[in-house]
Amino acid sequence: MMLAFAKRNILLYFRDKATVFFSLLAVIILVALYVLFLGDMTAKQLPDFPAKKSLLMAWFIAGMLAITSMTTTLGSFGILVNDRANKTYMDFYSSPISRTKLVGGYILSALVVGFFMCLCTLIASNLFLIVSGESMLPFGKMITASGVILLAVAASASMVLLLVSFFKTSNAFAAASTVIGTLLGFLAGIYIPIGSLPDYLQTIVKLFPVSHVSALFRQILMETPLIDSFTNAPAEMKEAYLFNMGVFYKMNGEKISTLFSVFYLTATTFVFFTLALLVLKRKNK
Amino acid sequence: MTNIIEVKGLSKSFGKVKAVSDISFYVEEGSLFSFLGTNGAGKSTTISILLTLLQQDKGHVTVNGYTVGQHDQAIRQEIGVVFQDSLLDPLLTVKENLAIRASFYGMTRQERYAAIHRVAEVVEIASLLNRPYGKLSGGQKRRADIARALIHKPNILILDEPTTGLDPESRKNIWATIQQLQKETGMTVFLTTHYIEEAANSDYVVVMKEGRIVAKGTPEKLKNDYSRHRLSLSTDQADELRRLLTLDEFNFNEEKSLFHLPLTHTTDAIPILTKFAPFISSFEVKKSSLDDVFITINGKVVHHDAGIR
Repeated sequence: MMLAFAKRNILLYFRDKATVFFSLLAVIILVALYVLFLGDMTAKQLPDFPAKKSLLMAWFIAGMLAITSMTTTLGSFGILVNDRANKTYMDFYSSPISRTKLVGGYILSALVVGFFMCLCTLIASNLFLIVSGESMLPFGKMITASGVILLAVAASASMVLLLVSFFKTSNAFAAASTVIGTLLGFLAGIYIPIGSLPDYLQTIVKLFPVSHVSALFRQILMETPLIDSFTNAPAEMKEAYLFNMGVFYKMNGEKISTLFSVFYLTATTFVFFTLALLVLKRKNK
Repeated sequence: MTNIIEVKGLSKSFGKVKAVSDISFYVEEGSLFSFLGTNGAGKSTTISILLTLLQQDKGHVTVNGYTVGQHDQAIRQEIGVVFQDSLLDPLLTVKENLAIRASFYGMTRQERYAAIHRVAEVVEIASLLNRPYGKLSGGQKRRADIARALIHKPNILILDEPTTGLDPESRKNIWATIQQLQKETGMTVFLTTHYIEEAANSDYVVVMKEGRIVAKGTPEKLKNDYSRHRLSLSTDQADELRRLLTLDEFNFNEEKSLFHLPLTHTTDAIPILTKFAPFISSFEVKKSSLDDVFITINGKVVHHDAGIR
């Protein structure tokens, strides 16, 4: 039951070209901004060091993946909002399928859509790396990155489900999607490196789960170029760079470990899912 | 005959608005039952309660022995429903739509396949199975909707204004399909409509107004209760005819040179026509119709308890 329902949602997402396009719009805008000026700006703010271009490219791809994980799950949950707005749920609710399975189907389809779209982004990025003469990501890194993608889409799906549980009309949802797509790049330290932001914004960025997604992606994708860049540089300089670019975050002067980011994402996933289910349950009554 | 649906003392309010107040009726198994009323009469609310989509405030509702509110899952298996709006996914093909909905009833892949072909045959959409639902015409969509309602072989088919918004040709076809279906399968068909001619074909009609049942019975009974056959005579000798009709104590009313006489049976016109033949220049016998019933009930102020058995 649930699988067939999830398959329906996935089919609906991919059949509607506009949904696919709009869920990638934030990513497309990000690419455009980078090509136009953000890339140059970020590069100019940093001193010259070896393999600077490869390092920045890896940083950029990590941010792009983080945004994709959020906006594509958001797009997929648009189907839930539409079903509610068009009263399609009356058809579901008058059938013997349980509401838990219906919600499960929406979540599952969002995870599949998000995972697939991120994988596509990752593959497209690799192709771009090859075309621009950089070395491709090794297979092992791709597998690790896929693991992070899974975690990322789960975390995003939980946040988005909580968000959509409050929306009744497609218009409200579309407006929210636009706002989120715009803010996301700032909130996750992707448009502008976290080091260039004022302190209070840095705190918000560190609390926002998607920032931890981008940090995890950066840690994986930038590992090799970081070695090339900083082997001959003093350790403090590398350290400063890592914190400035949001590869690692600092909380109360302490460096946040990879494991902590993973834990943080897992915990927020559970918390947001629980809250969303409570809201949905209350609304059903 | 057993009652497949029983509704006793059903009430439902939305805030201060009483959508349905204290209605009772039953539907016989295998019958064609019509729920007649204008928009906002409370038809959709009643249906939503039957479908377990809404909880009633008061009253007891059973569907094939199962109680609404207690055995909702069992009731959902019993009922197939065609909603007023198309609720299938426009971007998916008819076949995909049917397969997904079939899975809601726990059917296996093979059962789904068999069910799709069975219902496609019944509503004659076999050639449309691979077309996107959104690309179908209004009549074709309705057929697909009915196919979806029949996918799990329900005992009761509920149709909420099934022909609203269709062109006359499609309306006729859909209607023929519904009637044929009911005859062939012996399924109970429960429909809401505001088209009187559709209700006229049913076994039993319940007329709702402002959340209450204002009349119920067979179409024949309603016609007898709410409208009369009428004989209209036109004459050149109005004074003479008036004198004779009054003399014979006929009940009539006059309108220009026309005399209207209510009849119990249309054949009652024969002796009258024979008797007054020399004075009559032309005549018309108008049979009562369910139209008159509807107009009588909805057009004029009607006492709420009128016509309730």
